[in-house]
Amino acid sequence: MLPAPFIAAVQQLIGAKRLLAEAADLQRYGVDRTTIWQPAPSAIALPGSVEEVQQLVLLANQYDVAVVPSGGRTGLSGGAVAKNGELVIALDRLNEVIEFNPIDRSVTVGAGMVTEALQNFAEQHGLYYPVDFASAGSSQIGGNIATNAGGIKVIRYGMTRDWVLGLKVVTGAGELLELNRGLLKNNTGYDLRHLFIGSEGTLGLICEATIKLARPPVDLAVLVLGVNDFPSIMTVLEKYTAAMDLTAFEFFSEAALCRVTEHTGLARPFESQAPFYALLEFEQGGDQLDTAMALFEQCLEAELVSDGVVSQSLSQAANLWKLREDISETLWHYKPYKNDISVKVSKMPDFILEVDALVAERYPSFEVVWYGHIGDGNLHLNILKPAELALEQFVAQCSSVSSEVSELVERYQGSISAEHGVGLLKKPYLKHSKSSEEIALMRAIRRSFDPKGILNPGKLFD
Amino acid sequence: MKVLVAVKRVVDYNVKVRAKADGSDVELNNVKMSINPFCEIAVEEAVRLKEKGVVTEIVAVSIGATQSQEQIRTALALGADRGILVEAEGRLEPLAIAKCLKAVVDKEQPQLVLLGKQAIDGDNNQTGQMLAALMGAGQATFASELTLDADGAKVTREVDGGLQTLALTLPAVVTTDLRLNEPRYASLPNIMKAKKKPLDVTNAAELGVDIAPRTEQLAVEPPAERAAGIKVADVGELLDKLKNEAKVI
Ligand SMILES: Cc1cc2nc3c(=O)[nH]c(=O)nc-3n(C[C@H](O)[C@H](O)[C@H](O)COP(=O)(O)OP(=O)(O)OC[C@H]3O[C@@H](n4cnc5c(N)ncnc54)[C@H](O)[C@@H]3O)c2cc1C
Repeated sequence: MLPAPFIAAVQQLIGAKRLLAEAADLQRYGVDRTTIWQPAPSAIALPGSVEEVQQLVLLANQYDVAVVPSGGRTGLSGGAVAKNGELVIALDRLNEVIEFNPIDRSVTVGAGMVTEALQNFAEQHGLYYPVDFASAGSSQIGGNIATNAGGIKVIRYGMTRDWVLGLKVVTGAGELLELNRGLLKNNTGYDLRHLFIGSEGTLGLICEATIKLARPPVDLAVLVLGVNDFPSIMTVLEKYTAAMDLTAFEFFSEAALCRVTEHTGLARPFESQAPFYALLEFEQGGDQLDTAMALFEQCLEAELVSDGVVSQSLSQAANLWKLREDISETLWHYKPYKNDISVKVSKMPDFILEVDALVAERYPSFEVVWYGHIGDGNLHLNILKPAELALEQFVAQCSSVSSEVSELVERYQGSISAEHGVGLLKKPYLKHSKSSEEIALMRAIRRSFDPKGILNPGKLFD
Repeated sequence: MKVLVAVKRVVDYNVKVRAKADGSDVELNNVKMSINPFCEIAVEEAVRLKEKGVVTEIVAVSIGATQSQEQIRTALALGADRGILVEAEGRLEPLAIAKCLKAVVDKEQPQLVLLGKQAIDGDNNQTGQMLAALMGAGQATFASELTLDADGAKVTREVDGGLQTLALTLPAVVTTDLRLNEPRYASLPNIMKAKKKPLDVTNAAELGVDIAPRTEQLAVEPPAERAAGIKVADVGELLDKLKNEAKVI
């Protein structure tokens, strides 16, 4: 499907070995972690340098070839799905540390570096890269930046955006831009770097990133609490955040816990069952563990929580985290329909009741699994596909409910995509989080970076 | 029936252990310390025996620095009834620990002493055996299954090529292996209750035990760094390197 002269030019540029078109490659590189679309790219290009990326984009412009930028393909919104004969450009080979500067506490890496590799690099140098989530072993820094990934430490450390000091990008038109030069302070007009963060591969290919690193947290303790109902989770959150600096506040429902323990063989945190569980993490030095215990006693007396455990060793901490972190992968086997919604934390108590009621009414026969980064006002609402229902029908039914959920989100001035991005999956609902004026400006921005519209066509908006 | 469980404070299993810069010892500054995993299994087993009604009292004992109280508190939170810390500083050899335990056994007169098969710091795998000898009691090491009643204990041990089952008269010493059980988490309500459980502190001198080391630690060194791997172009080159450079074929 790609023009023959284009193929020849690409082979000439990156080497024939680096242009893949075997069925297995097309399958592998053509889809992210969504389970809805069939991958059908024409070929996969694996450039080995920024210059090659730039030349590839120029060639794509010349021959009108649509390009899908691809990272670790762990995305959950279909942003990296190639289903219309596109050329996938995967940055896997740009995965090296380019420069580490301990004085600036920053590191410049190729965008294809796997998130976990950056975390490990930081650790080896006595530092810390705090953006973390269950897919960190596969996702790439470029993909994280393109989706402005959040994760499990946002409550303390913020989103990917907060850690990007500089970017080297190739725009859709083929320009090479060096954005922000790794500076902490740089007030020289529009900060284009921030446009690329969260751009989902629609403005350009992120090739290199300069990332800020942090002091590593010391002696983390993990608490898992059994929480009596939805509103109580927010009260527990309020009590704890008022008194301590949490590094995480996550929640999951009993249904999520059941699926995970069944699937992984992990032990339940405690014998008794609760409708919801909150997972808290904090540095336990000083009197922090005592504070956490005292708060637990208060919550117990106020009948917000029913039981709880605290990690006594690093492996217990890791196993308690797995109860939360393995949910997404566990549910993947049930082809879940995922909602990733957020409202301000202050609005969460009311919102949660309404969304819970709506979902209970509209999905009476579906299994609904709740979990998420509730400390950030972010809920992951997963609907599991009943085995007997065809995928298409299931998706259609879920989409109709999504419209209602989106309207509710709009009423609460929340977001229809808290951290996974819009991609293909949330495109119909964008209007509930962005005004038509905003969307018009977004289109204009996209056109100025990618005038021919070759990058990720059909993603984010049409 | 009374059971004595030994618990040791060790560098957390998941910590990457480093040698001190001067090579005198393992670096313990700002390092996460936890209960030895095999001791945790011993505590869990004692608690299960108590839940079954076979055991009536569990006494958790630790020999070590003041901070070992944290690990005793963990044992108390898991279900032990009271704790004893034999305070002792410095490098403790298995024989010194076994002698301290023997002194505690003499006072407490438990019917069963449960210990981990080894502590993951020294990896000595000696304390249980030495204690049994000092007590003149029967021993079953590496237990993967344990049943207990007033008449005695039955212990399944993991041995090369299969399982061995031993019957022991009481009092007896049993050391735990990994597959004996999966320890529970310490629950917050139980941690709160554990704060009120008695924890007695004594020391080796009070027990009349000489804990001076019989050996001297000369040096602690990290293992030699592994040379970085290389990429070979083809099978021919691989065979050539294996034959002529690594000299393994
Ligand atoms: C088990 C699991 C747990 C997860 N948990 C979280 C979580 O807690 N928080 C969270 O935010 N996300 C989470 N995700 C979603 C996902 O991991 C993130 O969105 C991640 O940032 C995607 O990175 P990736 O490299 O896999 O990107 P991909 O999926 O490959 O791509 C994502 C988007 O970025 C674009 N893109 C990729 N690389 C580049 C580049 N170099 N330049 C330009 N555009 C590019 C793609 O075109 C696509 O639009 C989870 C996913 C899984 C499977």
